[in-house]
Amino acid sequence: MVPTFLGSTILVFTILQLAPGGPLEQTILQLQMGGLAGGGEGGGGSAAGIDGGSILPESALKELKRFYGFDKPIYQRYLIWLGIWPREIKHRDFEIPVGETLTEKRVGKRDGQIWRIDVKSLDGNNLSVFDKDGTPSPVWHASIDEIKDDGTREAVIFQQEYSGILTGNLGKSYTYLKPVTEVMKPRFKISLFFGLTGIFLSYLICIPLGIKKALNHGSVFDFGSSVAIFMAYSIPGWALGGVLLVLFGGGSFWDFFPLGGFHSPIEIWEEMTLLEKVVDQVHHMILPVIAWSIGSFATMTVLMKNSLLENLSQDYIRTAFAKGLNEKRVVWLHAMRNSVIPIASGIGHILGVVIAGSYFIERVFNIDGFGRLAYEAILSRDYPITLGFLVVVVLLRLIGNIISDLALATVDPRIRFK
Amino acid sequence: MVEKNKVEEQHLSILQKRWLKFKTLKRGYYALVIITTLYGISFLLPILINNRALIVSYENELYFPIIKGYVSGQTFGQDVPGEAKYRELRKSFKEDNTGNWVLMPPYPYSPFEDITTDGNKMYESPSGKHWLGTDNTGRDVFARLCYAFNISISFALILTIINYFLGIFIGGSMGYFGGKFDLFFQRLIEIWASLPMLFVIIIISSIVKPSFFLLIGIYTLVNWIGMTYLIRAEFYREKAKDYVAAALSMGQSDVKVMFKHILPNSLVPIITYFPFSVVAGISALVGLDYLGFGLAPPTPSWGQMLDVGLQNVSKWWMVFSPVAAQFLTLLSIVFIGEGVREAFDPKVYSRLR
Repeated sequence: MVPTFLGSTILVFTILQLAPGGPLEQTILQLQMGGLAGGGEGGGGSAAGIDGGSILPESALKELKRFYGFDKPIYQRYLIWLGIWPREIKHRDFEIPVGETLTEKRVGKRDGQIWRIDVKSLDGNNLSVFDKDGTPSPVWHASIDEIKDDGTREAVIFQQEYSGILTGNLGKSYTYLKPVTEVMKPRFKISLFFGLTGIFLSYLICIPLGIKKALNHGSVFDFGSSVAIFMAYSIPGWALGGVLLVLFGGGSFWDFFPLGGFHSPIEIWEEMTLLEKVVDQVHHMILPVIAWSIGSFATMTVLMKNSLLENLSQDYIRTAFAKGLNEKRVVWLHAMRNSVIPIASGIGHILGVVIAGSYFIERVFNIDGFGRLAYEAILSRDYPITLGFLVVVVLLRLIGNIISDLALATVDPRIRFK
Repeated sequence: MVEKNKVEEQHLSILQKRWLKFKTLKRGYYALVIITTLYGISFLLPILINNRALIVSYENELYFPIIKGYVSGQTFGQDVPGEAKYRELRKSFKEDNTGNWVLMPPYPYSPFEDITTDGNKMYESPSGKHWLGTDNTGRDVFARLCYAFNISISFALILTIINYFLGIFIGGSMGYFGGKFDLFFQRLIEIWASLPMLFVIIIISSIVKPSFFLLIGIYTLVNWIGMTYLIRAEFYREKAKDYVAAALSMGQSDVKVMFKHILPNSLVPIITYFPFSVVAGISALVGLDYLGFGLAPPTPSWGQMLDVGLQNVSKWWMVFSPVAAQFLTLLSIVFIGEGVREAFDPKVYSRLR
């Protein structure tokens, strides 16, 4: 489990970090465009624009690189992201003139007094930081960034902290400028709400339908419902959602349902009474939930049917009949117990599907869910959210596998954990 | 079982018998006939649905713009900049009645011409002129639909075949050789499979703008696992059988045992899975195109058409046409798949009452 998790995160991390046109390039481009426009107005900035890249001052570029973490080699970035390599925070740049070995820096306040530290360069390129009482500073570190031609050294002091996904810190979103977990939480709730409703409904319909089909195998009902299943299998849920929207969303035909959204706009939503809220929510959810459930409808019904049919033709059923049990008991007790095993083992996988399947439906119905958050994060190169999404999905899958195993063990007494 | 009687009557190979069985399953058989015919015809689309004339006879000279490509309007005495406008040309030739004529394709609209071409309007509803209306840039929906059919099926077929090759080589070797090789690939697949695949494809295609074959490559990267596992299990099971031991003891090489002896014996799941793999391929392409990470515009594609359609919900033809096209295509392939499964892997349920 742990190697799988590490492997998949390393993979995506590397792809994202090595990809051209990342957040750094995009920001630089944006700033340059802004600078170019400003320069044009001033009338003298045209030459700098042609240079390409030189328009940004060196210090700003350094600042940006630091913000996006691009000042470190990739393996360090990954380890920092994991939280087992110190993350550098609270940077302060300064210069050390030639020949100087001791610089005093003010680094904010501590206990109501101005906090000063000494930065000493003992052997040229190594810096060490001391508190005013002469002991080495426990929180501040210093390093030299660059030595200029004239011998002045550009240095930086910073604090270190271990914070990454292992400590529950998924980083800060580039676009929302908030911690990733904070951005994700409300979105995740929406998706989960949908997912659980969808799963519940599809189980509620598919299992009885599958049983009925199996018991009436070859009948008109079986044939008719098979046609429906074939059709459901041939149309992706989100495409069906689109058709439903056109039909019932008030575009060209009937105006029964809203065009999208999780509930009414927030101004209206907050004025509503509880009952109105419930009605509004259900009103908004009917179409997306239908679209959502159709995906698992076909596979699950067929799975249930085949599984029950398979069991009904087994020898132990023959035996049960032979010893004189009535049909109800044979089907519902003997055959059913074995037939739900494949359904039970699929329970955990659905957890992952809740997330993955919702990209499309959330986009069609304009719902601000979890899948859409990730989709937009990829578009805007918001790597902390992209990676955070990955972490959540991979974790959900791994947890889903465990739930599957547990469900399987509950239903199938032959399986025991040793 | 059932087929044993037939063997005595007619000495057919197992594949021939299965084919005969498949033919008796009308639904699947007709679906196969229809889909293959339509797919075959779809390669002739440039001469069926196009805005370039097939033949122009101008002042007793024959031109073939469909083969030659660009012919300027001035060539035919048309006062337009750039390429000749054949639909207008046909009209004016008819009015002039000077013996000049134009032979247009049966459906004279191209999937690429938009409002910049004269006479095209945005959001035209279906009519005798534009059978399924026009889209937000004035392109003919029916023309795009047909071209997208060809592209979708080609995409899914090529994708599936590549996946099968990879699956048979990697999965076959994993199952046949076992040991460390098997273990290594199993771990690799485990990591690979734990990734949300759609997510990875979107990330990759947001970085590189994919062309048709690049998209197939990207999709193969994430899609080979299922097939590999299926074939691995199949080879693993077959390897333990006596005929493999016999072949090996006669001094057959590993490669020969794998591909001459084991492979034909594990064909059933491979073939029955094929149509469903194609269905998955088409769905994937439509989905990616819908999200905007598929084939680069202006390639005609159902997903892109749906995307535009859903932004204009009041223009029902822009949503219904691509959904219906996709639905009918997938439904036919599912029917084929059902028929193939029935023919190759018949399940007879005995039921005691």
